[in-house]
Amino acid sequence: MEELFYHEKGLFLQKLHPAASLAYICTLLVLTLIFTNPFYLAGLFFCTGLSVWMLEGLETWELFLKGGLFMTVPIMIINPLVSKAGATILWRGPSLPVFGEITVSMEAVFYGAVMSLRLLDVISIFCLYNIMVHPDKAMNMLERFAFKSALVLSLATRMFPAMIRHLENIKEIQLVRGVDFSGGTFKQKINKYTNLIYILLLSSLEDSMEIAEAMHARAFGSGRRTRYVRDSIKPADSVCLAAAAAALLTGAWGTVKGYGVMNFYPRLGPAYSRGDMRMLALLLSMLSIPSLLSWGWRYCRYFR
Amino acid sequence: MPIFQVKNVSYYYPESEKPALKDINISVDEGEFLLVAGGSGSGKSTLARVLAGLVPDFYGGIFSGRVLFKGRDIRGMDRRKLSRHVGMVFQDPEKQLVKTEAEAEIAFGLENLGLPQQEMLRRVAEAMDFLDLAEVKGRFIDKLSGGQKQKVALASVLAMQPEAIILDEPTSQLDPACAEEFFNLIKRLNEEMGKTVILIEQRLERCFHLADRVAVMKDGKLIIEGAPREVAAKSVAGGMPFIPPVARFFAAMGFPDIPATVKEGRGILKKCLPLHNADEESLGSAGSVEKIGDKSGDVISLKKVWFSYNDKKEVLRDINLRVFPGEFAAILGANGAGKSTLLKIMAGLLHPDRGRVFFQGEECGNKGEIFREKRVAYLAQNPNDYLLQDTVEQELAFTIKNFNIPDDGRIDRLLGEMDLKRHRNKNPRDLSSGERQRVALASVLVTHPSLVLLDEPTRGMDYALKAALGEYLEGLCSSQLCVVMVTHDVEFAAEYAKRVIILHDGKIVSDGSAKQVLGNSMFYSTQMARMCRGFAADILTVEDAMETLAPLLSQNYKLALERGLW
Repeated sequence: MEELFYHEKGLFLQKLHPAASLAYICTLLVLTLIFTNPFYLAGLFFCTGLSVWMLEGLETWELFLKGGLFMTVPIMIINPLVSKAGATILWRGPSLPVFGEITVSMEAVFYGAVMSLRLLDVISIFCLYNIMVHPDKAMNMLERFAFKSALVLSLATRMFPAMIRHLENIKEIQLVRGVDFSGGTFKQKINKYTNLIYILLLSSLEDSMEIAEAMHARAFGSGRRTRYVRDSIKPADSVCLAAAAAALLTGAWGTVKGYGVMNFYPRLGPAYSRGDMRMLALLLSMLSIPSLLSWGWRYCRYFR
Repeated sequence: MPIFQVKNVSYYYPESEKPALKDINISVDEGEFLLVAGGSGSGKSTLARVLAGLVPDFYGGIFSGRVLFKGRDIRGMDRRKLSRHVGMVFQDPEKQLVKTEAEAEIAFGLENLGLPQQEMLRRVAEAMDFLDLAEVKGRFIDKLSGGQKQKVALASVLAMQPEAIILDEPTSQLDPACAEEFFNLIKRLNEEMGKTVILIEQRLERCFHLADRVAVMKDGKLIIEGAPREVAAKSVAGGMPFIPPVARFFAAMGFPDIPATVKEGRGILKKCLPLHNADEESLGSAGSVEKIGDKSGDVISLKKVWFSYNDKKEVLRDINLRVFPGEFAAILGANGAGKSTLLKIMAGLLHPDRGRVFFQGEECGNKGEIFREKRVAYLAQNPNDYLLQDTVEQELAFTIKNFNIPDDGRIDRLLGEMDLKRHRNKNPRDLSSGERQRVALASVLVTHPSLVLLDEPTRGMDYALKAALGEYLEGLCSSQLCVVMVTHDVEFAAEYAKRVIILHDGKIVSDGSAKQVLGNSMFYSTQMARMCRGFAADILTVEDAMETLAPLLSQNYKLALERGLW
């Protein structure tokens, strides 16, 4: 579980101003959601992977992707079976109540595969956020707009790993007291795990009072607050911000012009055109700038 | 001028019929170091919260009397203003840190005070520099050691630049070396920066000598108050344990000047004992550590055990250990030395990466058969993690039901032995911390195990509770049960454990009888051992010293007086 959380490694991408990091991640996410062309989605996947690599997070990414596969496989199976919009029928099955005749069309198979790729993109972007942005820095940004929500999120982020460890301790204690988590019926197992959560909740409730008291003692809620800002915008942050903004605007303009969008039903539209590829190359070059700077920061002194 | 004046303060927590404070009157001068001692539930922490303005503001309840800060009633003061003047550091660093990163945590209070950015930058930098926290900058709080977390908590209070700092058992979670470092910082704050310090503490040997004044509380009342020496004399006369061992020893001997530190105590011994030339002989006898081990029929033995968690760093390295029936062993070591991990390996909760574990001669496999066969009782650090059932009795019944053991009257017997009979139908979470600890211990002892493993069992306990626990554990050992305890409490280990094992960076660096190991150790040693080193061997506790040194000392004291050497 520890691998899934942020670890400070002092890397270039981790040192970016949170505005730049969040702008880059948001751009990736928005483009993933507006593009339907598999080449574009694969390109975004590549850019995300490049950043993950620069953040020395390939092992973490692998864990995220493994989890993601559990979600994508059902999509790829179920979508072709329930979608009837495709015109190129590959297989006709029996007729079932409610669903009618089961058909598998090439368009539905393709659509399921592309949507799975999009889901993997989203999961990868989430992974990138996790390993790239220090939670406190992100909260600091959010504090400008919604202080209380940011504080709750910050507390949750701080407490979550501790709660996981606490849950493990409680489970060990139950083991020593004779609770066999592997034995019993499904209902009995549910009961055993419910007990763990029950103890955790009771202890957390008691702890929350102490945390609130410590916050109260440090004048929390005593009036208007100010914000402690540690991060200043550096040239590298400006470049990354500009690259993200340019990629977002280019992507939006391209979508309006029909680039990056593919029609699936009733028949597959074209996925490849020269214009599309030019646009994709332009986008990828913009989105690769943070990774390129990161590489340069490490290996080329002129980038510093 | 007093910084605090507490006048006739009484206080009841909400829904409580018993007062937590009864008619308290005390004043604290500016720049003073006040140590507040007393047993569990004596009202020390409540008094600290009264001074910090948390009682009744945060807790509610019934409050009477007045608390003045520099002549102004605290209850009439704006909370922001009060926080600027009075800071409070709590017991558990885990439960007072709200941010994920140290620098942000230190700035949290300053943001709440609404300070401008430039001022915050300066104060955060100053607090970090003063407490030498540069290395934790940018690091996740979750990844810091206990000592570092407590220093961050102190820095976050210090950055608010309060005139008075109140500390509620701030070192209860720290190992002896970290605790020493923390108290040195507090001392600097008091001496070099003139901060008023009010310290609530149970382990007095660590801090008694730092205080200008000591106040002792009992049942919500202030019963003794005065200079440390004065309090030491009065405590001994009143039969109270709230003084450190060195002071207790000399007060019990009837010396007119009661020392508060090891240095002062040694000064007195030097004046008296050279007449008997005890130095050389005793130095010789406190020599090398003899390894315990050539016994047969061990309860548990570990052979060449190595262990690492997921992060690959080895937590235990080449551990060879045998524990025998009737043995009471204490494992000491710094935070992160691998003590708790070793205990979990012994409980069968973790399986070694390499090496073998034998329980009563049988090798243990991968799936923790030890605890499944109800042969091990394991008490983790937090007793609350055991409390699940609605009553104390059900808590014990839960364990035996899981192991399919019939209740042959064992629950009743155990409740009686552990003084829990009167609470049998109460919800365990409604009990005091000491009682919760006993319920948790009973819930694992009910299976009649052969090996009892305890992780920091004395945390937050006062002298009386510790004595009761120590005697109970001694009783278990006399019935051939084997007790292994992880602790930071060297005085407790010296008092009750027969064997001491010191762990450092995952390796056993010392293993022998308590007298040998603690008598020879520089840091893992009791106050009495440090004071008597070179004068007499095998002294760890006040009782040891009374037996060995007292006759000699009183005789030589008289001689010294007669010869005008005193």
